[in-house]
Amino acid sequence: MRRYSSDWYWYYAINYTLVIIIIFPIYWTLISSFKKPSELITSEPTFYPHDLTLQYYDQIWNFDRLKRLQDTETEDSDSSGVEIESKFRLDGEGVKRPFINSAIVSAGTIILTIIVCTFGGYALTVLKTPLKNFFFLLVILPILIPGISLIIPLYKLLKDLGLTNSHLGLILIHTCGMLPLGIFMMRNAFNSIPSSLREVAMLEGSSELKIITSVMLPLAIPGLLTVMVFAMYVSWNDYIYAFIFINSPENTMLNISLMKIALGGSQFEMKWGSLTAGSIVSFLPIIIFYTFLQQYFVRGVTGSAVKE
Amino acid sequence: MSRLRKEQLVGLLMVSPALILLAVFFLYPLVNSFYMSFHKWPLFGKPKWVGLDNYIFMFQDERFWESLKFTFVYTLTVTPMLFVVALGTALLCNAKAWGTTFFRSIYFLPVVMSFATASYVWLWLYSEMYGVIIYALEFFGFGGEKKNLNVWKTGTSSMWAVNAMVTWKFSGIQMIILIAGLQAIRDDYYEASKLMGASRWQTIWNVTLPLLRPSIALALILSIAGSIQAYEQFVIMTRGGPSNSTKTLVMHTVDMGFDYFKLGPAASLGVIIMIILFVLTVIQLRLFRKNY
Repeated sequence: MRRYSSDWYWYYAINYTLVIIIIFPIYWTLISSFKKPSELITSEPTFYPHDLTLQYYDQIWNFDRLKRLQDTETEDSDSSGVEIESKFRLDGEGVKRPFINSAIVSAGTIILTIIVCTFGGYALTVLKTPLKNFFFLLVILPILIPGISLIIPLYKLLKDLGLTNSHLGLILIHTCGMLPLGIFMMRNAFNSIPSSLREVAMLEGSSELKIITSVMLPLAIPGLLTVMVFAMYVSWNDYIYAFIFINSPENTMLNISLMKIALGGSQFEMKWGSLTAGSIVSFLPIIIFYTFLQQYFVRGVTGSAVKE
Repeated sequence: MSRLRKEQLVGLLMVSPALILLAVFFLYPLVNSFYMSFHKWPLFGKPKWVGLDNYIFMFQDERFWESLKFTFVYTLTVTPMLFVVALGTALLCNAKAWGTTFFRSIYFLPVVMSFATASYVWLWLYSEMYGVIIYALEFFGFGGEKKNLNVWKTGTSSMWAVNAMVTWKFSGIQMIILIAGLQAIRDDYYEASKLMGASRWQTIWNVTLPLLRPSIALALILSIAGSIQAYEQFVIMTRGGPSNSTKTLVMHTVDMGFDYFKLGPAASLGVIIMIILFVLTVIQLRLFRKNY
């Protein structure tokens, strides 16, 4: 390796420049969310916050819409001009409830996806299920037709089932969307486990369920983690389904509630402060997943692992 | 009951949740989207068979052609941007050097952020007067004396602004695909080319790129299929504006279905999007099978 040639200086110079460019938007959002309004909205930007403040996080997390409504009603009920202004200010949105909603949907999707895909993958690999190959093709089919082209009939379906405005509706749709990747991954994982292990367990008289939980799953953990990571990715990052299928304010998802902040006519500096703080709040769970389970993201994209 | 019989039953039982989900939330909507596209859907009462009327209505609608055209322009501009960045970073990360794993994980980082969050983040970076990108652009003399640069003023500048965000956000996925392709190229080829005295660029051009062709095709198809489904980035950043010049096909479908409550034409739009994506994905899968 020509470690000391000038090529390597270029190599690292280019790479570190790119790293700075990639990180910068995230860094800038992070520091913006901690800047005081006077520092945030200024013609002389600072590259680190001189005065730290948590006021935007406080504002978006503890914002109580109803309480705010009552407060403003008693404050300015006389002049109509003020009323309009205060109504605009109310467009600001708390993200605590939406955060919990998104967490419920994501957790639900992860759990349901893992259960459905483990059993499905097991039945289509290890067991002598009739029509195995046909079922596998059927389950893989949604890859060919992305759900986005089915939003109209899906909306109709959820409406008929009474599942619009519910967490369950979103969980079921996300889980169905995860089926191709999930079953594919679990099938590969179970395929690589020697069948003798199962036979030994069967001779000991274990039930099929016991074999899955105590023999097969511990060996299929990489596949399981890939499925989990992608279920999280799909459900936490969803926008269009949450936007169309959920209408009531108490069931809003996090990404949608941020839209209300972005559109909100609340005071200018508060709007950008809240929006950056909200972006960080929405990025945090997924970045934690990424930090610890990075290789499984990569595995899901390529269908196999990229060498280190 | 024989052991085989029992195992078959257990298997069917275990696969049934997946099959039920699939039937209810995929197969039924799939069939229904065709059914809906051939019917008129009044707010009350029963749907009425109208044949191809919904399709005719949709094709005569100027907004459909505008959104189709914009979606194609967006796809054709963002795909090369994504590809160049992805190929560059993939080649950089494939070098046998210290730190490639670290660089790769940083380049992939924006991919895990949702399109929605990335759009909010960049909305702030592009914010009129106080956005940091606007500062930088004005510092380099864009926007003239008055310093009133606004990227959302015209459709073209809006599109390029979104393209920059998408390139930042999404090139990591293609990079990973290209790296997987690069790793599949055997070292012999590079050694042979070195022995023949080829320069680095000659090697990339004559050895790497031709051998990488399947992965390149896969990355391109993925980006094209993704761009045709573009929704969040435009809904959040441009809201289709100015004056509907950045409205994508999916946005048009959502508007048609949920703003104008024309479910029939919206369903027929869905069918059109489905056909476009279906063709692209079939090509993609054929490449995928050749590749891995």
